[in-house]
Amino acid sequence: MSDNVAGEKAGLTWAVQISVVALVILWLIPTVGLFVSSFRERDQISATGWWLAPFSVELAFRGRADAADPRQENGAWVIEGSIFDDPEVATAFRSGSGVINAFGTRGVAPGQFAAGTVAELPNGDTLSLAADGAYRFTSPEEITGNGPRVYFEASTPPRFTLENYRTVLTADGMDRAFINTLTVTVPATIIPILIAAFAAYALAWMDFPGRGFLIAAVVGLLVVPLQLALVPLLGLHTRLGIGQSFLGIWLAHTGFGLPLAIYLLRNYMVGLPRDIIESAKVDGATDFEVFVKIVLPLSFPALASFAIFQFLWTWNDLLVAKVFLPSGAATQVMTVKIADDLLGSRGGDWAILATAAFVSIAVPLVVFFTMQRYLVRGLLAGSVK
Amino acid sequence: MNPATQGLLTIFIGVFGCIGYFYASNLVLDKVIFPARGPNIGRNINAANRVRPWLFLFPAVFAMGVYLVYPVVGSFYRSLFNRMGDEFVGFGNYGSLMGDPEFQTSLFNNFLWVLVVPAASTFIGLLVAQLTDRLAWGNIAKSLIFMPMAISFVGASLIWKFVYANNADIGLINAIRDVFGASQPIDPLQIPFWNNLFLMVILIWIQTGFAMVILSGALRGIPEETLEAAVLDGANPFQIFFKIKVPQIMGTILVVWTTITILVLKVFDIVYATTGGNFGTQILPSYMMSYMFRDDGRATAVAFVIMLIVLPVMIWNIVQARKEMR
Amino acid sequence: MRVTLLGGAAVFALTTGWAQAQSLLFEPGEDARFNWASYDEFAAANDLTGQTLTITGPWTGLDAELVESMLEYFRAATGATVNYSGSESFEQDIVISAQAGSAPNIAVFPQPGLVADMAARGNIASLDAATAEWLRANYAAGDSWVDLATFPGADGAEALFGLFYKIDLKSLVWYVPEAFEEAGYDVPETMEDLKALTEQIVADGGTPWCIGLGSGAATGWPATDWVEDMMLRVNPPEVYDAWVSNAIPFNDPQVIAAIEEFGWFVRNDEFVDGGAASVATTDFRDSPGGLFAFPPRCYMHRQASFIPTFFPEGNEVGTDVDFFYFPAFAAKDLGQPVLGAGTMFAITTDSPAARTFIEWLKTPIAHEVWMAQSGFLTPFTGVNLDAYGSETTRALGEILLGATTFRFDGSDLMPGEIGAGAFWTGMVDYTTGADAEAVTKVIQDRWSSLN
Repeated sequence: MSDNVAGEKAGLTWAVQISVVALVILWLIPTVGLFVSSFRERDQISATGWWLAPFSVELAFRGRADAADPRQENGAWVIEGSIFDDPEVATAFRSGSGVINAFGTRGVAPGQFAAGTVAELPNGDTLSLAADGAYRFTSPEEITGNGPRVYFEASTPPRFTLENYRTVLTADGMDRAFINTLTVTVPATIIPILIAAFAAYALAWMDFPGRGFLIAAVVGLLVVPLQLALVPLLGLHTRLGIGQSFLGIWLAHTGFGLPLAIYLLRNYMVGLPRDIIESAKVDGATDFEVFVKIVLPLSFPALASFAIFQFLWTWNDLLVAKVFLPSGAATQVMTVKIADDLLGSRGGDWAILATAAFVSIAVPLVVFFTMQRYLVRGLLAGSVK
Repeated sequence: MNPATQGLLTIFIGVFGCIGYFYASNLVLDKVIFPARGPNIGRNINAANRVRPWLFLFPAVFAMGVYLVYPVVGSFYRSLFNRMGDEFVGFGNYGSLMGDPEFQTSLFNNFLWVLVVPAASTFIGLLVAQLTDRLAWGNIAKSLIFMPMAISFVGASLIWKFVYANNADIGLINAIRDVFGASQPIDPLQIPFWNNLFLMVILIWIQTGFAMVILSGALRGIPEETLEAAVLDGANPFQIFFKIKVPQIMGTILVVWTTITILVLKVFDIVYATTGGNFGTQILPSYMMSYMFRDDGRATAVAFVIMLIVLPVMIWNIVQARKEMR
Repeated sequence: MRVTLLGGAAVFALTTGWAQAQSLLFEPGEDARFNWASYDEFAAANDLTGQTLTITGPWTGLDAELVESMLEYFRAATGATVNYSGSESFEQDIVISAQAGSAPNIAVFPQPGLVADMAARGNIASLDAATAEWLRANYAAGDSWVDLATFPGADGAEALFGLFYKIDLKSLVWYVPEAFEEAGYDVPETMEDLKALTEQIVADGGTPWCIGLGSGAATGWPATDWVEDMMLRVNPPEVYDAWVSNAIPFNDPQVIAAIEEFGWFVRNDEFVDGGAASVATTDFRDSPGGLFAFPPRCYMHRQASFIPTFFPEGNEVGTDVDFFYFPAFAAKDLGQPVLGAGTMFAITTDSPAARTFIEWLKTPIAHEVWMAQSGFLTPFTGVNLDAYGSETTRALGEILLGATTFRFDGSDLMPGEIGAGAFWTGMVDYTTGADAEAVTKVIQDRWSSLN
């Protein structure tokens, strides 16, 4: 490690630390927003931004004074009570009460009067609403029917909830969808790597006519838009009897993932020191042995990198799963389940979308962490000697 | 059969099948068809070596041929027909494309994307790879920068909706503008020309993780001895970086840059899901998507134009490949 | 029934899941509103034990639950296995699976234009003449429902390809009755009154309309509904038909007049919450929220009958929020035109079970089961109107049955590149300031270039 070699200045180290922190924060900010939103409720998300999530949100509410038993007092009819007892209001104040800042009697001016004051209304009525919700309405005439509408502005405490996560995680069939997704991604990651590794080696270290052309073809195939391939390939699968099935999607993902795999692996293999391979050949090893015993182990970083990407891509994929898998509930993958079941009629529920996004991010991140240990330095370092 | 069991069985069969194929075919080649003994030993070995690459390549070439080349050829054929697929129009679809103002906008925008996104992602990815290389918490930092890649495009669109929203209460950018005293919220996605950059930021945000992972691996592949020798020669960290590390991994840098360029020509989700291509933000892949399954003749024509754009990159790769073998 | 937000969310979560084994929602023979005789007759006449029927459609989430409740009756009556799966991207999925040979037995299409396309390619089995006759006789304005589903097939001959089952009404304006009451506004009965009300609200210091066109890739579609409604109120229905079939060009002055009527409402910054420029980026699901705020951010929202799903929780249709018919011009004497849309059941892979299912859709009970729940309207005259689940839906149903002119959503009838493409983007351009003549010319050029 070169931190014990002259040339690493303390100042530079600090600069490095700070710039990395800055970059990480920059990258994280948008995601943090979504993460925080997944713990909030729909109304609060529409009212304030996520950076204000820990703060109280001032919202306007509507309630009705309860005119169940008016009494007479000094010639006027009076009704009193707590606005938080009104069922319509109670749903918004889960803890039973809030702090009222202002009130009004018309929807267009919910904060016309400050809390605690007595508002003079037309017809000689008066209404007062205290900060703790106690209201008092007086009228010179008998109060019949429903009580008057009371509008008020109050600070609602920030409400964080796990409800969204509960909704997404316990959605009917989510566990099945999770297993289905694993069933699709694992083979679809492992098999392309195997096939691509051999092909990459051939394109990197074997000389044969058409090599350049094949490499160019691989690059060209990288750009093929998937949508072009869906109908012809589904038709082919149907004609072959594979139809829509897990086998079909494994084959499809393998085919679609090969260009990137070959391209990345080939590039890595080309960078391996020529001497190792040449000396092995001189020692009498066949290409096959060179590949299996030397090149493959040395290529672990590249294999691990590609495994991460392919896993990620198949895990988050929606389109290929929709086309190549049957559409029943038993064979849904998580992306399809979230898109069709959870969001179907609730497309505007940002909280659920946010939660779903994070629920499906968990496994790929674990895979990334696991694969990190293959992306290590030093596999080559000792071998030259 | 239970799909999970089926999956495990497939992994088993697949892995052993592949290994078995490669092992067996090489064995047969070396021992049976062109055995390394007898009077023709020299010729046999040469013959075996000529055939061997094709053994290695066969499964990959077959899979790609079926799953990628066949649809491409079919699509080219389809692009020569009209909307319904029953009338041959030759290059009529291509002609009408050139005349479509929306296509021209897409082409221009795409060139912008191709110029900006790969360069920015590769540069930032390289920067992060280098900076986090020896940090104690490097892995964590890398995971955090990698996280956007792990979020599906749906999640990413939602995340950036909360940044770009045309409302100071919901959108981060407008909230910041509000703090600095702006009177009206502004919609970043409707500003002509600059809205493209705002959308590009989303893709850069995602793709930097990709560049970082690959370049990180490449940086770690540089032999210690080279670096130590440079330090002993009195080079400072900047010199080491620019004069030794970057040239050593230049191949990988260019590969990353190529891959992201090609991705920029393929990714339609971002534009499609945020602006739907409105406000002059249309790019070729989402333009193609808007025709897909409705006017397949046109959609396949656009796909071909996209593939033509990749041609220079392909040619450059052939040239590089030829250089290697020397 | 009042439920707390928590409870509501939990109930929602429960009902949003797949319920594979559901029992019949209403026990046969119990509720007198339903036509159990038709159910028993159908069950006795059909036995599909051992057969499987696959259905795909656009209904997901809560709507999928509702259709499953109807399918249970079919399962119980015939013994068939029925698999329904809904998809957000139905239009794309059905085209892919039809072209690849893996289409389901029955597909539920929200767009007749798509059915026309697929029928021409031979991917849909035609329904027999008896069904066409039945529709003419049993659906209100039956001829319209037959004409809307009749297209040339692969052989060029016209035939009936679909049966309309669930209808949505679009000529509705949603409002909060209490807000109107407090401000002293009356529900306008004519378009002239509606415009006067709009100006009155502005004079009183409020904002009259909430309009939102945002919908990701589909941004702009609510504006097409506005324009179609205006077309029916500004021009006679024949002009509408000519417009939808491109017999008159898209940039015909009559069309431009309708667009500019829409523009009167939407391009005025004072008339719309957030100003004209924000209309195109406000999501259509978020925009009605302004009705329910205190102070209200707007007083009226023109939208189809499915929108209550997106109202904030706790607002009951009929009491907290209500609708009125989007009025017509008194001066133009064009009656009370109604714009609507619906889903059409079509056979994409023929089988005896599929044919039996089409017969099932002709029984009153198949309609009544869903009518009694929510979000369902039908032009079938043979149903019992009392089966409607609420006063509101019955009122909507009556509008449907009583319209002097009924027209189907134009953008659903136009070819996909126009009705679900150029028209949408054209409207976005128009609301953000482009000129109506320029926008319609672009759309017409695109239409002309379709071959």
